[in-house]
Amino acid sequence: MKNSTLIKGTAAIAVGAALLLGGGGTLAAWNAEATAAPGTIVAGDLNVVKTAAGVWKDRAGTTINNIGSYKAVPGDKLTFTQEVDVTLTGDKMAASIVAEGVGASNGFNPASVSVSAPALSVGGVAVTNNLGPNAAVQKVTATVTFEFLSTTTGRTDVTKSYDFGNVKFTLQQVVAGQAGLL
Amino acid sequence: MRIRRTLQAAALIAAAVLLGLLTVQGTYALWNASALTAPGTVSAASFDVAMTSTLAGQATSNMTLPSGQSANLNLGPTTALQPGDSVQAGVVVTNNSDATGTFNTSTTAGQPVLANASGGGLAQYLAVTAKTAATAAQCDVTTGYAAISAAGLTSPPVAKGGATVFCFRVSLSPAAPSSVKGQAVNITLPMTARQCGVSGVC
Repeated sequence: MKNSTLIKGTAAIAVGAALLLGGGGTLAAWNAEATAAPGTIVAGDLNVVKTAAGVWKDRAGTTINNIGSYKAVPGDKLTFTQEVDVTLTGDKMAASIVAEGVGASNGFNPASVSVSAPALSVGGVAVTNNLGPNAAVQKVTATVTFEFLSTTTGRTDVTKSYDFGNVKFTLQQVVAGQAGLL
Repeated sequence: MRIRRTLQAAALIAAAVLLGLLTVQGTYALWNASALTAPGTVSAASFDVAMTSTLAGQATSNMTLPSGQSANLNLGPTTALQPGDSVQAGVVVTNNSDATGTFNTSTTAGQPVLANASGGGLAQYLAVTAKTAATAAQCDVTTGYAAISAAGLTSPPVAKGGATVFCFRVSLSPAAPSSVKGQAVNITLPMTARQCGVSGVC
């Protein structure tokens, strides 16, 4: 009795498997296919690079080859310019650029000197953030001025020094299309 | 009991969600890049003006001492004057600044102050005149001396490393009485150097 049940069960499984195999082999209906090529997505680029050393000039526009050995006197106005290459590619690319002095050390009496914050320009025109994409590298110039005021009296601040530390350029992508942005 | 566990679980989930949101906000970052440049150090020049007596043996000194006080230079001619005689001495003023750019100085000698030594009356019979010169030897040339005005006697501009000479002449009046014989007078003259020529004129 027990064997009979086992045999019946096995047979049922075999029939079911045969039906499944037969059914799979007989699946046949109209079908078609087509291929689309979405293309390739290429990422843009964002970069800021200093490619050459900055330049110091005096009030007359004469280049100062070594600011470390230059000795300033009241009335001197020295200008430092640093050019950086800004790469911005991408259809929706937009970025802000800022420059800030970092780690300056002023040994002068604050009333004797006037030091400007870095000012940015492109082609002589002041930068109005944000910058947009450009196929070519954009030359951004930062300008810092140091003026030893002619109102300095006596022997105030003779042999003192002003260490500018670093000027840091930061290029930060912004999301184009958002309110207030490019 | 079951409700309490449910509330605890809900609170835990809410905290996790909040923490997750805050974490996402903190890591919101688009592309960025930076570059650094070091402009260097700007140093101020020195402002040293040296004074040297034209008389041999007199000390040389900077106008300003390390302490910040004004220096004194003793010209000290020791000649004994007779009525009608004159004696002269000079001081060479040298611009020793180490400024890189243009740095001219202009020096002014103020009016002399004559003080009788030991309460004498000699001062009123002395006249002090002065002139500027290019060389110390020109102090011995008697022409060109004049009284120092209230504005003082100002030198022409002196460039870095250059010098100018102030000549001073003291004359004893021919009318000096014998009562002032042997008396002495201390004569002091303030000398002031100033920078000029960078953004203004001398």
